[in-house]
Amino acid sequence: MALLQIARLSKSYDNETKVLKDISFSVKAGEFVSIIGPSGAGKSTLLRCVNQMVPISSGEVIFDNAPVTQLKKRALRQLRTNIGMVFQHYNLVPRLTVIENVLHGRLGYKTTLQGIMSRFTEKEKEQAFYLLRKLGIEEHAYKRCDQLSGGQQQRVGIARALIQGPKLVLCDEPIASLDPNSSKIIMDHLKSITSELGITCLVNLHQVEVAQQYSDRIIGLNQGEVVFDGTNYQLTEEKTNRIYGTEMRELITV
Amino acid sequence: METVANPTYMKRKRNGRISIKAGSKSERVIRLTMMLLFVLTVTAFLLFDYTGLELWTAIVETGQNLKVMFFEPALNHFTWAEAFYQVGVTLGLAVLSTIIGAVIAFFLALMAATNLSKEWVTKVVRVIVAFIRAVPTVLWVLIFAIAAGLGSEAAVLGMLFHSIAYLVKAFSEAFEEVDKGILEALRATGSSWWHVVIHGIMPSTFTYILSWTFLRFEINFAVAVAMGAAAGAGGIGFELFMASGFYFDLSEVGFITYAILIIAIILEVFSTQLKNRYFPSSVRN
Ligand SMILES: Nc1ncnc2c1ncn2[C@@H]1O[C@H](COP(=O)(O)OP(=O)(O)OP(=O)(O)O)[C@@H](O)[C@H]1O
Ligand SMILES: [Mg+2]
Repeated sequence: MALLQIARLSKSYDNETKVLKDISFSVKAGEFVSIIGPSGAGKSTLLRCVNQMVPISSGEVIFDNAPVTQLKKRALRQLRTNIGMVFQHYNLVPRLTVIENVLHGRLGYKTTLQGIMSRFTEKEKEQAFYLLRKLGIEEHAYKRCDQLSGGQQQRVGIARALIQGPKLVLCDEPIASLDPNSSKIIMDHLKSITSELGITCLVNLHQVEVAQQYSDRIIGLNQGEVVFDGTNYQLTEEKTNRIYGTEMRELITV
Repeated sequence: METVANPTYMKRKRNGRISIKAGSKSERVIRLTMMLLFVLTVTAFLLFDYTGLELWTAIVETGQNLKVMFFEPALNHFTWAEAFYQVGVTLGLAVLSTIIGAVIAFFLALMAATNLSKEWVTKVVRVIVAFIRAVPTVLWVLIFAIAAGLGSEAAVLGMLFHSIAYLVKAFSEAFEEVDKGILEALRATGSSWWHVVIHGIMPSTFTYILSWTFLRFEINFAVAVAMGAAAGAGGIGFELFMASGFYFDLSEVGFITYAILIIAIILEVFSTQLKNRYFPSSVRN
């Protein structure tokens, strides 16, 4: 049974140009799926349609048997607790400590008052420290986030997504601002999320090689359309060229 | 070096020299306005009634008055204890209107920030606030005096009103500066609107809110002095008004001026220290 089903999804921000056109695919539980495509292809938009961070124009998104598009406030919050999100620029609150930022991942489970009073249970705090230890940044738990390196901040971002207890993690170019070394650490952690915890990952990537190395499956997007959907063996040179356009490909390999 | 530039892009003045001003319409309007103001100022001086004015005597006597004020300050109509009490009253007026104003402004600013509220809500709040801000504090005090009578109530209400309008603008602009990625990340975890405010907006803007509030407190202290005189709100301003307008006691005016000056300096030192200790470098000035 598919965890995420997207059917004939279209999205337009200004009612004129369609950013996403008639997109259909489904993702099984425990899959590691990469989305690749040139800048402006609509990768970020596609991820945000999944958890309704942007309203979709037409089509259907079904997550865990629930029709995402029809959900209203409370139900939508409930849905989002099941979907973690990791960002290119980490999007942590820089003035707060690492542990505070991680615990933000639990806010979706709180009533308004509990959240305002920061009523986190001991179990949640222990879980936060456990995740930080697993990600190798436990010693920074009480540091302010703006004192951490990019790679460390991204690991805080991953911890914040994981403490939600999600079924799906959406990653929007998680390594685009990192050096090769930190990139490898982050990608390894993301991979282990799927292999060890069985959490599905949907990752936007810019580097084709990285996508091929880590994914079970790759989806190629160009100008809002799915132009490739298959395993990394099936992604031949020729097909990569189709996703990026030939000249683009040359630019990258130079 | 090539000196003959493309002549079609070059503007020349009437005397043939190359112009370095863009010569746009707004520039001409500004120049015209400046000239008009200059002419008006000169004519105004010519139209004053100068009969009975002996310039030299006037200058000498003003000098003498200033000497009495600033070199012979003294208390004649009230005691030191009373002076302290009156300064306290003025500070109280300022504190009350600033604190209550900041709390109310915080909530209104949440409604006025475009990244936190619906578009029509922000528009409504902004228009109302802009209107309140456009009217000077003194006028608000006098308007409230109609209902509450001249006195400290009207003064606090009027100052409160203007403080709110001022702080809503300052706060909401600070809120809008918050990285929208932070808000997006919090919303994506399933946080409610209040969670986003408390855990995303508040920690990111807390120091700005503090510094704006303190800045407004400094303003409100000055306004409270003036209101003491203008609206009979009491405090040191009222004593100043009495000393100068009723007793013609220049030594006392001098004393009170010094007292206000000292408070202002203390506030300034305090706020600088506060900023250095708690505020990020971007807010320090
Ligand atoms: N909030 C928005 N309002 C209007 N248009 C938008 C908005 N966000 C994105 N777009 C437009 O949608 C198109 C796709 O943007 P999107 O960010 O999804 O691309 P992307 O594939 O993620 O690109 P990149 O690789 O550069 O991140 C772009 O043409 C962009 O201009
Ligand atoms: Mg993007």
